Amino acid sequence: MLEQKDLVRYNRQLIIPDFGEEGQKKLKDSHVVIVGMGGLGCASATYLTAAGVGHITIVDFDTVELSDLNRQILYWEDEIGERKVVVAQRKLSKLNSSIQITPVFTKLTEDNIFSVINGAQVILDGTDNVTTRLIVNSACVKLKIPYVYAGVSRLRGMITTIIPGQTPCLACFRPEGPSGLGVLGVTPAIIANLQALEAIKLLIGHSPALAGKLLLFNGDNLKFQVREIRRNEGCPVCSPVVLKQDYF
Amino acid sequence: MKAAVMPGFSELIIRINPTKQVTRGGLLTIIMPWLYAPWPDAQKTGIAEMEVEGKTLRELLAKLAELYKQANVELDIINPKTNDLDADYDVLVNGKNYVALPNGLGTKLKNGDEVRLKILWRWDG
Repeated sequence: MLEQKDLVRYNRQLIIPDFGEEGQKKLKDSHVVIVGMGGLGCASATYLTAAGVGHITIVDFDTVELSDLNRQILYWEDEIGERKVVVAQRKLSKLNSSIQITPVFTKLTEDNIFSVINGAQVILDGTDNVTTRLIVNSACVKLKIPYVYAGVSRLRGMITTIIPGQTPCLACFRPEGPSGLGVLGVTPAIIANLQALEAIKLLIGHSPALAGKLLLFNGDNLKFQVREIRRNEGCPVCSPVVLKQDYF
Repeated sequence: MKAAVMPGFSELIIRINPTKQVTRGGLLTIIMPWLYAPWPDAQKTGIAEMEVEGKTLRELLAKLAELYKQANVELDIINPKTNDLDADYDVLVNGKNYVALPNGLGTKLKNGDEVRLKILWRWDG
């Protein structure tokens, strides 16, 4: 149920014909988990908070460092040394006090991932390494929770929306690539806002644009390319054979 | 030189002047169909063939980029600014990274060489 202040606060999106009050109610009743509160997580969390997602869990095990401030826009100079999730929760709650922000200060592992993401409607990727991403990916496939993968470096970024059972998962690709190449702050901001858009579409029941598609962003020449991707029938995580073995 | 091109998971596997028939072996799934854009008919077999004027790794990669461009897929393997491999890719020749080869992208390819063009994923956040 939307309150009078909600009708005012979200007016600009309520008047979008495909969104409306029904869309806003769905957002209000939704739970999103953002794994990793770095450059990607700060941006996606900000816009999902502003949009009125009812419950956002933010997960990170790190503290704010000076070298984070070029891209992690929720953290400021006087917060260096504080836990990222605590700072982010404080800022996001000031932006929108009518929603629930749950900070989780932990490093995600195969042992705790299920308890962290269970019950969420969408998981957003904000991590900075392949290992954690594959742990999140695997858990999302098993729990059948959509997972919006994104990764960036320098002026490049990638994103795809993984719908378990329908689209390829991250492990389908046996993905490789280095990390720690450097990041210009606007790159995760651009990609994270696409993640937030995909999440909102999923939450209100619209078709995500990047399900079964890989978007490649190149900030050097400002080109976006969207390419079709298909499931790997022999995927060690999401192939029907593997899932069957796990559960029956 | 001739080359057999086989799209893998996140890579292109290229055999130079193969002496034996190239097969996909256990690599059955096609998960990035756009990698077949220059050779749409090759989706049936999973293996494409191409001809390259020149003998070096650089010439091979430039030809690949040209073929993809003609098929409206941008695969800018050689970065025009650096004249080196673009940051979206990595290249191995017979399992050895091109930067470890004495002549780098200028390496002359031999019959039977296997070149792997890896499409790199992004992991920073």
